[in-house]
Amino acid sequence: MEETGCKDCRYYLPVDVFRGMCKLSKDPITPDDPLCAAMEHIPKCKFCAYYTTDKDYLGKCMGSILAYPDMIASKCADFKWDKQN
Amino acid sequence: MPDKTQAHVNYYGSEPDAEVASRDSKRQPTARANAARELYFEAKSSVSMEFPYWYTRRWEQLEGEIPIIRRAEALKSGFEHLTATIYPGELLAMGKASYLRGSFPMPWLSEAFFMAAEDDLYKEAQESGKLTADTFTTMGKGGGNVTKSAGRVISIAGKFGLRVEEMPVMIEVAKKWKDKSVDDIGHKYEQLVPGYKEKEALMRSVICMFDSGYTLPQGREVMNYYYPLQFGIDGIIRNCEDGIADVAGYPGMDRLYFYKAVILTLEGIKQWIKNYAEEAQLLASIEKDEKQKNEYLELAERLEWLSSKPPRSFHDALQMVWLFHAAVQNEDAISGLSPGRIGQVLYPYWQRDIKNGVLDREKSLELLECMRIKFTEIDCFASMGVVGGVLSGNTFNNLCVGGLLKDGSSAANELEMLILEAGITCDTPQPTLSLLYDEKLPEEFLLKGIECTKIGTGYPAWVNNQVAMEFLLGNYAHEGMNPEEARAWGIGGCLETSPGSWMPLEIDNEIHWIPGGSAPATSVGVHFLNLPKLLEVTLFDGMDMRTGQRIFPPHGYALETYDETWQAFKDYFSRACHVLTLTNNIQHDAWRKISPSLVNSMLKPDCLAKGKDIGQMGCRYNTTFNIESCGTTNLVNSLGSLKMNVYTEKNYTLNQYREAILANFGYQTAQETGSYSLIDQVPTGDYHNWKKIHSQSLGAPKFGNDNPFVDAILKDWEDWFCDMAHNYRSLYDQPMYACQISVSTHGPMGAVTLASPDGRLSGTTFSDGSVSAYPGTDKNGPYALFNSATCWNHAQSQNSQLNIKIHPSVVNGREGSRKFLELIRAYLRKGGFHVQFNIVDSRMLKQAQAEPDKFRSLLVRVAGFTQYWVELGKQIQDEVISRTEYEEL
Repeated sequence: MEETGCKDCRYYLPVDVFRGMCKLSKDPITPDDPLCAAMEHIPKCKFCAYYTTDKDYLGKCMGSILAYPDMIASKCADFKWDKQN
Repeated sequence: MPDKTQAHVNYYGSEPDAEVASRDSKRQPTARANAARELYFEAKSSVSMEFPYWYTRRWEQLEGEIPIIRRAEALKSGFEHLTATIYPGELLAMGKASYLRGSFPMPWLSEAFFMAAEDDLYKEAQESGKLTADTFTTMGKGGGNVTKSAGRVISIAGKFGLRVEEMPVMIEVAKKWKDKSVDDIGHKYEQLVPGYKEKEALMRSVICMFDSGYTLPQGREVMNYYYPLQFGIDGIIRNCEDGIADVAGYPGMDRLYFYKAVILTLEGIKQWIKNYAEEAQLLASIEKDEKQKNEYLELAERLEWLSSKPPRSFHDALQMVWLFHAAVQNEDAISGLSPGRIGQVLYPYWQRDIKNGVLDREKSLELLECMRIKFTEIDCFASMGVVGGVLSGNTFNNLCVGGLLKDGSSAANELEMLILEAGITCDTPQPTLSLLYDEKLPEEFLLKGIECTKIGTGYPAWVNNQVAMEFLLGNYAHEGMNPEEARAWGIGGCLETSPGSWMPLEIDNEIHWIPGGSAPATSVGVHFLNLPKLLEVTLFDGMDMRTGQRIFPPHGYALETYDETWQAFKDYFSRACHVLTLTNNIQHDAWRKISPSLVNSMLKPDCLAKGKDIGQMGCRYNTTFNIESCGTTNLVNSLGSLKMNVYTEKNYTLNQYREAILANFGYQTAQETGSYSLIDQVPTGDYHNWKKIHSQSLGAPKFGNDNPFVDAILKDWEDWFCDMAHNYRSLYDQPMYACQISVSTHGPMGAVTLASPDGRLSGTTFSDGSVSAYPGTDKNGPYALFNSATCWNHAQSQNSQLNIKIHPSVVNGREGSRKFLELIRAYLRKGGFHVQFNIVDSRMLKQAQAEPDKFRSLLVRVAGFTQYWVELGKQIQDEVISRTEYEEL
């Protein structure tokens, strides 16, 4: 399991690679700030049942296709929440 | 005592006595646009892997598919998986990627430059000379550039930030394109051109700056929004379905695949728009502020509507224009994708909304300011040599106002007045503005342009409508262009004259003829040729004395006369054009086969009618390859110096000049001093040995003073260059033409060039543009400069470029405005093609260089573009500071 932070929340609005804002509070936050109680995970490969980790920041989708954990998968037709996460 | 017959100039930057002068008072944007601009100021250029990941994943799945279908499926996948981000207060939504200044690599074009320096891919690119320009480019150190890696962010090309968690996948995806990208395939076949090794030598010496085929294969052209405005996305799909029904199974089957590819691409774009509509709905659902909530809901409804149907209002139409502009930016690495004359394209919608009372001028201005912010957010991900050395981080989205309507009457309108007003209230680099000057334009409109230029944004550029039309008719008549159609032109990119067409937009049963681009990129081919360096190589019989490498075989001339030297230079120049034209044709052929344009193609007349993409000459006009030059003024001044000091007055032998050049006239090089203008250079111990020859070189006649001796050299060069360019044939088997803009290349190209016979020192930046004077050498005032600049016919070339710096006090007040307009008129009436101004006190620029954090919003004009001062590299900053500053007209 990769590290998590505000970047994993559906209410995180990225401005750039350094910072963003919370869609709920409009407060400035960074992608690595700790998740709060209001957080809801956004679909990402690392939360998907079909994702397996190979090495740091790289893995496989369905056992064969190159994938990476932080890819937002909201529009991936095959995304399936991994209940273990 | 100053000579009262001459304008008071600051020779090499001497300073006036008065306090630092500010520009004419500026107005502020609306609160909404101001907030958006503040957010932009805080945002860094950021790269994400979402689009290239999905593009590559889909591409790999379709091995063996028909190439254009494979490309369309990959684009579709990229678009439909893009995560939507909407920022509070946005009236216009959507962008290239999920960051505010977002962009992404396109490894299907080129995959080497963003690899680590120790990677084999990077090393191979270095050896072939593709990345040499990167080495001699200085990137801006401030603003939105991510110049250094920090924390969990990695800096790429000194500009872009990438999250560390996306770095491994970027490398993996890039490696999947090894030997498959446009760059690699083109390189494989360009080596078959006889004399190919000479091309590599030209690139390594930075006599040529870059290959256009895989770096920026599109752009420098005017968009055309007619089809989505008239038919909506579903309407275009229906047109393509009809096209398929007409051609399926008949000879000329490529049309079938083109139509199918357009449909697939549009399906991706539809989903992309819907992603944003869904995001707007989500934001509305959690928004507590009623006004903002309603705006999100309106945005969601608008995007949902536009995902299939044509616009209903000005606001709809502006959103449609923007989303297709962004969509084209996502299909290729592009600079210079110009919206063109959208004040005329959108005027019918605006007029109707104003008439019906659903829009007022205040709201219009706010929308236009929001449009300025969206265009400014565009970033182009490219190598340091391209994004820094050529573009200075700019993207050149040129919006034109003025010009003529189809019937030959003035095209200026009330919406264009508001566009100029928004350029004043919300001064941002994009879209830059160009005013297509014609004698038929009303005085009120011209004075509005003056008002905008005076605030110091560097726009609008003043461009000669009649000269452009003459150029277009000279180059496109054989493709069917007539004078009426020539009136539909616009500026593509910074200053590329681009053909257009009149399209019949029907609103409420009334036809409005709107202008739009009808050609592919009008500036691809030989990019750029370093003229002073070619003269240097000529003087040293084919050798690059900086690197010690041979570029050309010995030319065989003793250079005993001026005519011999001139002929030897022309021979080398022609030789370079020959090999670079052939290699570039191959690269562009690889591009059209591997990565054909689909979004831009569906927009450009007559691709849909012909069933051909722009790479297959689907456009109405296809004579679009050129030969670009850089350093014209330094070349001309150097030839003038040699002609006088060596061949006429015989003050020195050519060998003495060669020695002086190698000794840099007794000065340190610019790389040693860290300064790139002549003013700040430091003498060495043996300076006195070279003082006399340096002084006589600087004192030789200089371009820009209405001096017939040196102006005749410029005319000789222009007449020859503009004519010889037609001898080369493009990929589309059309004659090429001359293009004369420096953009930012005069920085890195100056950096690789030794001292030149005009007295310029090694490594210093060249004069900008093509008819700008070398800093400090135009001593007889602007009217003398105009006479020099117009000693040749500018309609022979795609452009010419003149940039002037004026102290703000000169144009203050209404009287200053009138005087300013007369000055511009005088130049354009003489036949000048383009003139642009920096209205700024040079000392302010020096302050900004020393304390960049205090000048985040300061804009300056470089050469065909306006940019934030803090995002310019030092080579260009030094050159802009050193430009002659007129304190009287």
